[in-house]
Order: sequence, then C-alpha cells, then structure tokens
Amino acid sequence: MRFVEITKRYGDNVVFDHFSLEIPHQTILSVVGPSGEGKTTLLHMAAKLLEPDSGKVVKELSEEGPVSYLFQEPRLLEKSNVFSNVELALHKAYENKKERSEIALHYLDLVGLKESLSLYPAQLSGGMRQRVAIARSFAHPSNLMLLDEPFQSLDIRLRYDLISSFETLWKEAPKTTLFVTHDPKEALLLGDSVCCLGNPEKPKLLVKIDIPREARNISDATLLSYESQIVESLVND
Amino acid sequence: MKRMKRNLVLFASSLLLLLLWQMGAVILDSQILLPGVGPVLSALLSLTKEAPFTLNLFSTVLRAFESFIIIVLSATMLGIAAGRNSWFSLMLKPFVVVLKAVPVMSIILLAFIWFSSGTVPLFSAFLMGFPVMFVQIEQGVLHLDKNLDQMCDIYDFSPRMKIHHFIIPSLMPFFLTGARTALSMVWKVVIAAEVLTVPQYGVGSRMHLAQVQLETEKVLSWTLLTILLTALGDLLFDAIVLLSVRVKKAKDARRVPCVL
Repeated sequence: MRFVEITKRYGDNVVFDHFSLEIPHQTILSVVGPSGEGKTTLLHMAAKLLEPDSGKVVKELSEEGPVSYLFQEPRLLEKSNVFSNVELALHKAYENKKERSEIALHYLDLVGLKESLSLYPAQLSGGMRQRVAIARSFAHPSNLMLLDEPFQSLDIRLRYDLISSFETLWKEAPKTTLFVTHDPKEALLLGDSVCCLGNPEKPKLLVKIDIPREARNISDATLLSYESQIVESLVND
Repeated sequence: MKRMKRNLVLFASSLLLLLLWQMGAVILDSQILLPGVGPVLSALLSLTKEAPFTLNLFSTVLRAFESFIIIVLSATMLGIAAGRNSWFSLMLKPFVVVLKAVPVMSIILLAFIWFSSGTVPLFSAFLMGFPVMFVQIEQGVLHLDKNLDQMCDIYDFSPRMKIHHFIIPSLMPFFLTGARTALSMVWKVVIAAEVLTVPQYGVGSRMHLAQVQLETEKVLSWTLLTILLTALGDLLFDAIVLLSVRVKKAKDARRVPCVL
C-alpha cells in the first residue's frame, strides 16, 4: 500500500503536504508521532473513512476490499457475548454457519479466550476485551490491517502480553499492517519498519528493523539504539 | 435473603399505610370524609359482584392499552426519525413543547369538545404520554455510540445485523424508561378523563357517580382497584422485559458452539 503525494488539511492546519509513504506487502509499518500530526488521519485514509484533499492511496489488488481495524478501545457489542462479537464480523464473508463458528473459535482459542465464549463484555477485564477485539480483527477476512494505538490504555505487562498475542496471530496470517502508536518500544517490537511523523512533507525518520520479530527483546542494545533514534527524532524539530 | 428483606420492608410499609388510614378514619369518625379500611374492602367486594364491574374495568384497561400501544408505536417511529434528522426534530419541537406544557385538564376539556366521551380518555392519554416516550427515543438515537457504528461498518455488518445487534440493544434502556413512564401516565390520564367525561363504562365514570352520591367508600374502592391495575400493569411490563432478556440470553448461549 502506498500513500502517494497526499495532501490533507483541517482548516489552516496542514497535516500532510504532498506526503508519500509505502508499506511493503504483508509487512508491518509502525507509525510514531506526537498527537495532531496525522497518525489517525493516515489510518482513516487507508480505511477509506477519509479522502485526501489531493494525492491518492494506492493498494495492491490483494489489499483491496475489507479492512480489519483495531481501535484504541475494544469497541465490543455490550449485549453480545464474546463468541458473537467475533462471529458477527464473519457473516458477510462466510455464509456457512459452521465455517463462521470454526473460524471464530480458532482465533478466540489463539488469544486464550476459549473458556470465555459465553461471557459478555461487562464480565471481562480490559485485557480480555482487547483480546476479543484482536481475535475479531484477525478473524475478519481482510488483507489490510489498521491498528490505532490498541494497547495504549493497558498496563505494561498486559500490553506486552497482547503484543505477543498479536504477533502470534499475525505470523499465522500476515497482512499488510499500519500500526499507529505513541510508544517507540511497541513500534519497534512489532514493526518491520518504523516511521516518525512530524513533518507534513515527508517522514521525519524511516528506519527498517533488521532483527527478526521473534528475536526482538525490549532490552536489546540494537533495539535501544533504534529507540533513541526515534525519541530524538520525535523530540527535536 | 436480600429479596426476602426487601419484601419484608415493603410489606411493613404497606401495613403502616393501612394503619395510618385506619387511624385517620377513627379520628375523623365520618363515613363521608374518610371511611375505614373495613367498609372500603367490603364495598370493593360488593363492587366485584355487580354486573357491569368487568365491563367497567375492561373498558378502562382497553382504553389504557390502546393509547399505550399507539404511544409506543408512534413515539418510537417519530423519535427515531427525529433522532436521525435534525430538521424533522426541529419541525416537531413546537408540538412536543406544547404537549409537555399544556395541563392535563385543558387537554381533557378540549378533547371533550371535539370527541365523544369514550374517545376522550384515549386521545388525552395519547397526547400526555407521547412526548415522554418520544423524547426518550430521540435521546436514545442521539446517544448511539458513533464508534460502535463505525466498527459495524468496518466489519461489514449488514443493515439487519446492525439493527439487531447494535441499534436495538443501544435504544432499549431509553425505550424501557419511556414506555414505563408513559404507561404510568396513561393510567392516570385515562381515569381522570373518564371522571370528567363520564363515558357509559369505565372505572373513572363509576368513581364520578360514587362521588356525586357521596359514597366515599366506593370512590376509595375504585381507587384501590386502579392502584392494583397500575401495579399489575407494571408487573406485566417487568415480566415481559425479564422474559425477553432471558430469551435473548438463551438465544446467545445457543449460538455458542460446545467446545468441550
């Protein structure tokens, strides 16, 4: 997927000005940046919820169609149980009830919620709710995945647990992914590349992470050096 | 245990109410001003044996039920339309404000000029109950979670699924509050309109006749009956709500595959 020469302004505030960015097929691009620099705008344009004022978003044929969106908050249907919350996202793609059921079960099992199928969102902890949302986003048949700071409201331990769950699911079915976050560590753990926003015309920083995802460790010296590069880019104008 | 305690408190407070009534009757010592519990209960018993009793009761219940159904249907449809379209909401605003502000008696008296005595209770109850339910439904639509709406669109929910799993559950609390308030209002307005317009059959008509003949024990008997009717209506309403919640949960549980 490519953002080609996109321009987007909100009144006098120019968020993107002929900005270009590419996410290679079936890779994760982490986007880090301060608030108001266009991270969510980028996601909305990728999801076609928002049109750029000029320029275009080009997707490969295999990335067209439905998208999976993992929001900041889980956005679950409060009156539907865990199973239904995932299964309902499959209705359009799979007419067969048994098939829908199997797919929903598979992903709920992978995020460790097989025992909680009949529970309602009000009966779940914050982490469990976000796990349901993760299962739903992977179960939904799409080739493009958009993540809008889905781990930000969770405590640090839960956050890394969920990142690990996400990683497991992604490895099973890789999708072109745009991952927006405030946290450089999260960005480095998941992304194949990390992009820093802050300049409307071009990324302030775009680094490719060479370490295989499964070998990445938060205290690894190479990752720490990447992190300091990102922080420096975010802090300095 | 908690439920038993609750019932015990309710029973004790009802008993206290009866006690206060009886004390008042003893102090006043007048069958016209305030008859005691005994004479009222025996008057109630003899009322139930009179031939048009069922017809009187049935006529009032039917009027209340008819206006309630009309309120629920019209207020739900118009409330949804107003919640979704601000111009339509603005157009209805003067009607709703006027209906909320006009005293019940004015509506009943005006309706009595326009309609026959049997139609007045139905019409008046509709006009009084409609704004309550309408405002609730409109608020419900305005408070629909836009984030969830967006989620439904992104995850390809069909319109039917969206209505079934997102819109109806989100509107339900507003619907229930509106319907419950409208129902209790309907009983009061229907009986007040019957008292003023004296249709051939109706609890209010009987109350009016008993009052004219200074049969206070009969007025109180009919009042007791209306209290019972209202309580029964509320109980029935709660039972329907509880049943539908259970049916929904059972249906949800059936959707979950057995994984053991």
